[in-house]
Formats: sequence, structure tokens, C-alpha cells
Amino acid sequence: MATFIVRRLIASIFIFLAATYLMYILTALSGDPLEDLRTSTAPNKQQLIEARTALLHLDVPPYLRYFIWIAGVGKCFIGQCDLGVTVQNQPVTVLLAQAAGSTLQLVTIASVIAIILGLVVGITTALRQYSGYDYGVTFLSFLFFSLPIFWVAVLLKQFVAIGFNDFLSDPQIAPWIIPILAVISGLIWMSILPGKGRRKLITFAAAALASAAVIIYMDLSDWFSYPHIGIVGVALTLVGAAFGVTTISTGLKNRRALYASLVVAGIGVAAWYPFIYFTTGLPFWGWIGIGVATVLVALGVGWFMGGDDRRPVARTAAIVGFIAFSVLSLDRFMQVWDDYANSGRIKGRPIATIGSGTPGLEGSLWVHGVDLFTHLLLPTLALILISFATYTRYSRASLLEVMNQDYIRTARAKGLTERTVVVRHAFRNALIPIATIVAFDIGGIIGGAVITERVFGWTGMGALFQNGLDHVDPNPVMAFFLVTGSLAILFNLIADLVYAGLDPRIRVS
Amino acid sequence: MRIRRLAAAAATVAAGALILSGCAAPQSEIVEGSSLAVAWNQPFYSYNGLTSFGNATANNNITYATLSSFNYYDNTPALVKDTSFGTYEKISDDPLVVKYTIADGVKWSDGTAVDASDLLLQWAALSRALDTPDFDAAEYTDPDTGEFTSDFPTDVVYFDSGADPTTGMGLVSTLPEVSDDKKSITLTYDAPFVDWELVFSAPLPAHVVAKNALGIDDNQKAKDAIFDAIENDDKTALASISSFWNSGFNFTEMPSNPDLVLSSGPYVITDFVADQYVTLTANKQYTGANQAKVEEITVRFITDPLAAVQALQNGEVQVISPQATVDVADALAALDVTVIGGYEGTYEHIDLQFDQSKSGNFNNPLIREAFMKVIPRQEIVDKLIKPLQPDAEIRNSQVFLPGAEGYDDSVANNGSAAYADVDIEGAKALLAEAGVTNPEVCMLFSSTNPRRANEFLLIQQSGALAGFNVTDCSSPDWGGLLGTPGAYDASLFGWQSTSLGVTNGPPPTFTTGGINNLNFYSNPEMDKLTAALSVEFDPAKQIEIQKEIDKLLWSDFYGVTIFQFPSVTAFDPNAIKGIAPSTLAPTIFWNIWDWEPVTAATE
Repeated sequence: MATFIVRRLIASIFIFLAATYLMYILTALSGDPLEDLRTSTAPNKQQLIEARTALLHLDVPPYLRYFIWIAGVGKCFIGQCDLGVTVQNQPVTVLLAQAAGSTLQLVTIASVIAIILGLVVGITTALRQYSGYDYGVTFLSFLFFSLPIFWVAVLLKQFVAIGFNDFLSDPQIAPWIIPILAVISGLIWMSILPGKGRRKLITFAAAALASAAVIIYMDLSDWFSYPHIGIVGVALTLVGAAFGVTTISTGLKNRRALYASLVVAGIGVAAWYPFIYFTTGLPFWGWIGIGVATVLVALGVGWFMGGDDRRPVARTAAIVGFIAFSVLSLDRFMQVWDDYANSGRIKGRPIATIGSGTPGLEGSLWVHGVDLFTHLLLPTLALILISFATYTRYSRASLLEVMNQDYIRTARAKGLTERTVVVRHAFRNALIPIATIVAFDIGGIIGGAVITERVFGWTGMGALFQNGLDHVDPNPVMAFFLVTGSLAILFNLIADLVYAGLDPRIRVS
Repeated sequence: MRIRRLAAAAATVAAGALILSGCAAPQSEIVEGSSLAVAWNQPFYSYNGLTSFGNATANNNITYATLSSFNYYDNTPALVKDTSFGTYEKISDDPLVVKYTIADGVKWSDGTAVDASDLLLQWAALSRALDTPDFDAAEYTDPDTGEFTSDFPTDVVYFDSGADPTTGMGLVSTLPEVSDDKKSITLTYDAPFVDWELVFSAPLPAHVVAKNALGIDDNQKAKDAIFDAIENDDKTALASISSFWNSGFNFTEMPSNPDLVLSSGPYVITDFVADQYVTLTANKQYTGANQAKVEEITVRFITDPLAAVQALQNGEVQVISPQATVDVADALAALDVTVIGGYEGTYEHIDLQFDQSKSGNFNNPLIREAFMKVIPRQEIVDKLIKPLQPDAEIRNSQVFLPGAEGYDDSVANNGSAAYADVDIEGAKALLAEAGVTNPEVCMLFSSTNPRRANEFLLIQQSGALAGFNVTDCSSPDWGGLLGTPGAYDASLFGWQSTSLGVTNGPPPTFTTGGINNLNFYSNPEMDKLTAALSVEFDPAKQIEIQKEIDKLLWSDFYGVTIFQFPSVTAFDPNAIKGIAPSTLAPTIFWNIWDWEPVTAATE
């Protein structure tokens, strides 16, 4: 194992060195870094050209200038990283730290959501293979996969931000739209839920009617101006979650798990009033603390009610506890929505198209949370739409392959429930190939957010790269390349190791 | 399905519950405030826009609002004096002596008075008269960081203002005289300099430099230390002062020391989030004429032009001035916003090589004239510029900026009218007279610039009709090839004008051997005119000389000017008023103090 890692790393370093050399030369030769000064009519033009030449060593040909740069990078090993300066005389090391921070903020959330969504949808489509739902998702994922991201991003801004904000100025859904939405919702649920003939029709009608009722309620209660879940909504959601989580986690036959989950749901409902009305000045760590405490309490409830088989019961209760915390927090964030959307800085147009925060906004934890949400929504959606496609396709294929294996047939033959077969025997093994894809993707997504960042005015690694290219300035470009390149190498290695770790049949040596 | 049905039921009951509970909403959790926002395409990075690297529009737009100056350009463009900040007068022409006086009661935003110490430091920095002679900063610059190494001599004075001893403030090599009340300084020039009005840009707070460079706590002592150091030429103190002046004002987010963003103008920087925005708040200590009309203005950094358009549509910014492209023009046309087409300071032109050209054809004036006749200037403007800016026009002067005083008069008389339309027959006749067939013209332009490539194609087609064989000498490194003997016959590029000053216009460009004379143009008559211009103080006479220069250039078949770069500014008329962009930097920001929110009517 150790020799494998060392060998891989040494080979990677040489490949990486060659790649950086190539990249440096290509950037340096892509234009004339003095172009803007040459066409200047400033009287001290000559001095300015000399100053820039001295700063960026333009008197040294790029073939050799690379070695000045790589010497600075080499100093990282003695703790004095030196990535040179930009054409504006700013140290690249400082810029890189700022850029990497903002890119990570953007990419982390997008990756997590895309992975979870992709897995869930992929698995459900595999379980409902060749259903209308499966075909629908297949169609959509290929559609998203083939869309250019800059275009998706612009469309998202036009419709989800500008269009939705316009809608918010008079948030009434037109009566003729309600039946259309209801039919669409009915069709979606009909294709997901199992059944045939008459049963399908009932599903369709119920889902359509329920959707219409929800929309009409939203219209009547001015829900888009004053969004809320309310204590009843919270109660119903949590009871539903208790049943749902128990079904997947242990099966409804495990009554202890069901009762423990319901108790946790009850605690959640009881906590609604104090949580909504007495958390105005809550600091961020306080909020996280409440979350941890909720999960711990839920664990405790499961542990005490677990009887002989405590672990699965505690696990189920903890998941419900986490959901309870999330739902309560969501309702709490919704409480400030009206104040936020109508403040003088937002002026009734909450969904933002640029940047990572509203300038000058001051308020409580909840206000800033909503602000972060309105700014992260679109770029995250854009990133998710693209990577979502890969994840659903891979997880679907992977689960289908596993479901056809002999040991699944054996498990079924033993008389195990379908839940146990899918969750315990198939799902885990289906995750093995996904894990490697995810590891590799995380490495790539940081570099891949260049366009998303630019379109959403989110200055991170992408801006570093692009400004560098625009000014024929290799140093920031190389900083970008250093990070993305080393991440690609690192995550490739991790992917291999994870594979070996998950699948005992594989040895790395 | 179950969850959806449950949700529906839940929602209905919840509505009832809420109505019953009377919606006991918690108190407001948000601090009220509002601001106008403007988009700019590059982040701010230095509060000192006078260093060779800090001198960028992204910085100067901001410092323009926070650092007052003796004068500024309006949108005519014409130079306007700000007498509420200070006055200046020319005391004598030869030697040129100018006295600058700060108006009474002008203060920095920390309450300290603006006085001669600020002006004196500005002189020391911009003239570099006190710099250690023959010192080469590059020898002590760390090759990797660009910062000075630790063995940088402590007694070396080096102001990185890029000053040149032959022009501008560089000509004031002797110590200025400071008045007794410490309100004014008097500069004596070594040689006449006709653009003397433009040399004294907005000063930085000298006491902040001294406090940080010399470790002084008291503001008044810090000011005295500046006087002492400069008047006694104290190299040790000046070395620290210059070093802080060079790098102390560079920051990429809000500095922890508020002294670094002291303001003498209508606004002061109150927030700066790296790569996101700068917030300007009205300066309470400002007593001058250009009072801010809105409490807060945020400058947001949006690189992508279309992203700026959508941000305007979504109300996140109220003013944008993105790079003019066809996409931006189309997107803006569909919106309910006010769009103002204007010009940038850069103009596109074609220079013909009078000597040392690749083919040698242009040594013959007949061939130069013939080629000028076939350049389809109107077609270039119609096809490439009008889609961006419908009212774009050809620029017809080699010297005057469109709109500036003298442009219209000069255009009427300079002979450019002869080249307004393509004249194939006339060109053929001239070529026949010159006795050449199919002369080659190799054009140098930037191969990475699609617009110039399109211009080249139009010229090539038009030239072919008259028998010119126009060939492609383009290169990504075209800037370095400019002025290279034997490399090309004609060059297509833009000159940037940053001021109306005459010394950076005709003299360096048209004088024999001038620094910007890249086409080996030489005419003794022109040399006389540029020499006369360089010593003419009377603005009216300057314009007369420039008109003669313009006319001479066209009759010498120097080349043609094509168009001024188009600019586009768009704003939301329901949110802001007072926007009136200028051609010269700081373009839209020149009247930032006149910007006003429009909200009262609608709410």
C-alpha cells in the first residue's frame, strides 16, 4: 500500500512538473503583456513599461522565466510559498487564498446536494426501471448533461431570479395555471408510485387534487409573501418523516423504532414554539449547538426505547431528530423572509443574480442565512443540474447491475424482505463505483466552476484564471493550475484507494 | 403521494391555526438601510492610484470620489476647477511658477486639516526630485514577489510614481516654497510645461504616511515630520516615507487601520469585501462644493458584461457601464432602462509607414493618398460599430477628441472630408500616376482581436477593387512589432487618450523621432508646430496650433482615423438620476456626487 502511494506520487510529480511547464509557456506566449502600455499616450510610458518589465521579469524569455516561478513554488516546502505577483503588483499567494475560499463555499454545497439528489433519484429510477418516471428522469438527465452551463446559468437568472422576483411583486398564481400544475404533479407521482390500471388513476387523481389544494391555499394565504410551515405543518411533516425513515431504516415491523421516531417527532413539535420565538439573537454556533443537541437527544431516546436491538433504533431516531431540526430551522428562516425581502437593500427582489451576499446587509443569523440562500441558489442549481446527470446515470446503472447479481437472488430466496435486499445488500455494493466517481468529481468541480463563477459575478478561482489570461499574466493562471492540477492528482489517488478500501477483492500494490 | 396529501391537509389546518394565533410575528431582525449600486468590471486594489501599478480605472474611479483634487474633467470634456478644495494660479511663464492654495476648512475625514504637508508629499512623490539618484529598484526587488528584499538599503528614497524628469511634475526639481500659514506651496518649473494644470492630482493624507512610516502617533507631529523630512532632505525618513507611499495603500479588502482610507472628497470607503464590492458613504467632514446627494453608493465588481445587464434588470445594481458588445446592446434594448451611448478615450486609426516599410510603397505620397481613398471608414463604422451604438460616427481628426473644443472647427477644414467615402476611381488614377500596379500593403494588427480582423477584411476587399494587394501582417505580439523597420506597411490599432493635455498628444506622436512616432513620419514644418505647441500656454492658441497640425497631417497623407471606441452606460430611470457619462476617465463616475435616488415618487 505505502509503496503504491509513494510510486504514484512520484510519477504524478513528474507529470505535474511537465504540465506546469507547458501551461506556463502557453500562457506566456498567448499575447503581449505590455499591450495596454504600448498604446498608451501617457507621458511616462517608457517608465511604466520598464517598471512592469522589471516586476514580471519580461526581459527573461518564458522558457527560463518558468524557473523563476517554480523556484518560488519550491519555497512552499520551507513554508514560504511564493507564487509571484500579478501584473497589478498583488501577491498571488494572498489572492489565491481569497479565491479558493469563495470557490470552496460555492462548490461544497453544490457537490453535496448534487451527490445526495443524484443518488436518491438514480436509485429510485433503478428500482422503477422502465417506468414513466425512469424514462422521464433519463430524458431530463440527458437534457441537462448536454446543456452548456453558461446558457443554463443565464436562463436560470432570467427565469428563476428575474422572473420569480417579478412574480413576487404580485404573488398570485393565475387560475388557468393551477390545473396544469396539478396534472403535471399527478403524472409525476403516478409514474413514481407502483401499481397498475385503476390504482394508477387513483394515484393520479389524489396527487393532482392535493397539489391543486396546496397551490390554492398558497394563493389564498399569500404564502409567497409570508412563507411558513407552521406548527401543524411541522407536526405532519415530522410524523410523516417518522414513518418514512423507519420504513427505510428498519422497516415498519420494528415497532420500537417506529415509536422512538414518533417520540422524537413529538419532541420536535413541542420545541416549535420556543424555537421560533426565542432565537432572535442566536449566534451561529448556538444554532449548530442546538442541532447537535437535538441529534444527541434523539439518539438517547432511541437508545432507551431500543430494548434488545438498540443500534438500529437509535440510528432511526437520530435521523428523525436531524430532520426535525432541519424543518424547524427552515420554518425559522421563513419567519424573516418578509422582513428580508422588503428591506431597503433588497427592495422586494430577493433572488440575487450576482455575488455572494447583499452589500451592507446587517441583521440576525436568520437574515444572513436567507441572504446566503438567495445568493447561493442559482449558482448551486446551475452546478447541480450538470453534475446531477452523471450521478443519476451512474448510480442507476450501478444499482441495476448489482440487482442482477446472483447473491441478490440468493438473498431473495432466503426470504429477506425487499427492503433488506435493496438497502442492505444491493445499495451498499452499488455505492462502490459511485464513490470513485464522486472523489474524482470533487477534484474536477473546483476547476469546472470557472464559467459558473463568471456568470454569477462570484470572484473565485475562475476569476483568477481568467484575469490572468486576459492580461497575459502567467502567475495567477499558474496558481489556478497548481490547485486544480494537484487536486486532480490527489483525488485520482484517493479514488483508487477508496475503491480498494470498499471492495475487498481489489488490492493496490 | 402520502406526503403531498398530508402536506395539503397540514397546510389547511396550519392556516386556521395561524389565523387563530393572530400571526404573532417576532420583531424585525434586520437593520434598515439602502444604497445605490453601480457595477464595475474590475475589483479595486489600491488606494494610491499614482503608483505605476495602482494607476488603473478600477482604483481611480473610487479614489475620485474620496480624494479631492484642484480640478477634474466634466463630460464635455472640459477641465473644471474645484475652488472649494483649493485654488491655483500661474505666477509667471518663464520660469513657470505655480502657486497652489488649499481652501479654508478643508479636512480629512478624521478631522485633520488638509494642508501644505499633503501637497509637499505629493510633490516629492510625483517629481521624484528627492529620490536617490541612479538607484535601480530592480536590483533590490525579490524576483518572485516583486516586493523589496530585506537588503533594500534603508537610506534609499524611491517613489514608484513612474515620473519622468523631462515632463510634468518631473520638471519641478527644486524644493517648493511653503507659505507661512502652511496652506499653500509654490512650484517652480525648470522648463516651461504647458499642461501644468494637469500635473497636481489629488493628494494622499501625508500625516497617515508619516504615522505609519515613522511610527508617530500625533497627527500634527506627523505633519511636521513630513515638512522636516522633505525640507531637510532627510534620506532615512524619506526612505521609509517613500516605501510606505509605494505599498502602504495597497489592499484587497477593508484594511484594519481606518487611517488608510481617509477621505477628502464627498465619499469615504466604509466597507470593502474582497472581490465583491466597495461601499462608499457620504463623508461627514466634507465641506466642499460637490456634496453627496445619496448616503451610500456601492460599487459592485461584475466582470461579465451580460451578468451586469441581468443584475441591472434584477435591481441589484442601478447603473452599469459594461464593455460594449452586440450582445450587450441587444440585451439592453429589450429592457426598460435608459441607455446612453458614448465614447471611450481610445480611438482606432491606421498609420502608414512613411519610411522603413516592408514594401517601401508608402514612401511615395501618391500611393499613400490612393490607399487612404480606399479605406472604407464609413462601412467599418456601419458594420462593426453601429450595431453596438446606433449613432456612432467616424472620427475625423488626428488630434481632437470628438466633443472637445476645436473638434468641429478642425474637422471642417482639415481635409478629412476627401476621405469620407471610398473613391476607387480616384485611387486607380493616383496609382496610375505613380506608375505602380498592384502595390502590396501589409497591415499590422492584433491577431487576437476579432474586430480588427474584420476591419482588415473590409479594407482588403475595398483595396482589391483599386488594385491594392492588402496582406495580413497581424501578430499576437503586434504591440512589440510597432515601429520595427521593414516589418509592415500600415498599422491598425488604437491610441488611448487620458486627458486633453497637449503634451501627450501631438508632440510625442508627430515630431520626428518622438516616442510615439512609430511610422517614421518626419516633416520639418510639423516639428516646428509641435515645438511651438509645447511652449504655448494660451489654451486658445493651443487649439489654433493643433488645428494646423491636424490639417498638415491629412495633407501629408499620414493615415486615417476611423472611430472612437463606443461605450455604453445603462441605468434604471426609476431608481437613479443624474447619470451623465464622460468620455475621459473616470467616465460615469465623474459626477458621482450628482447621483440621486428616485424613490419618493413611487412609494
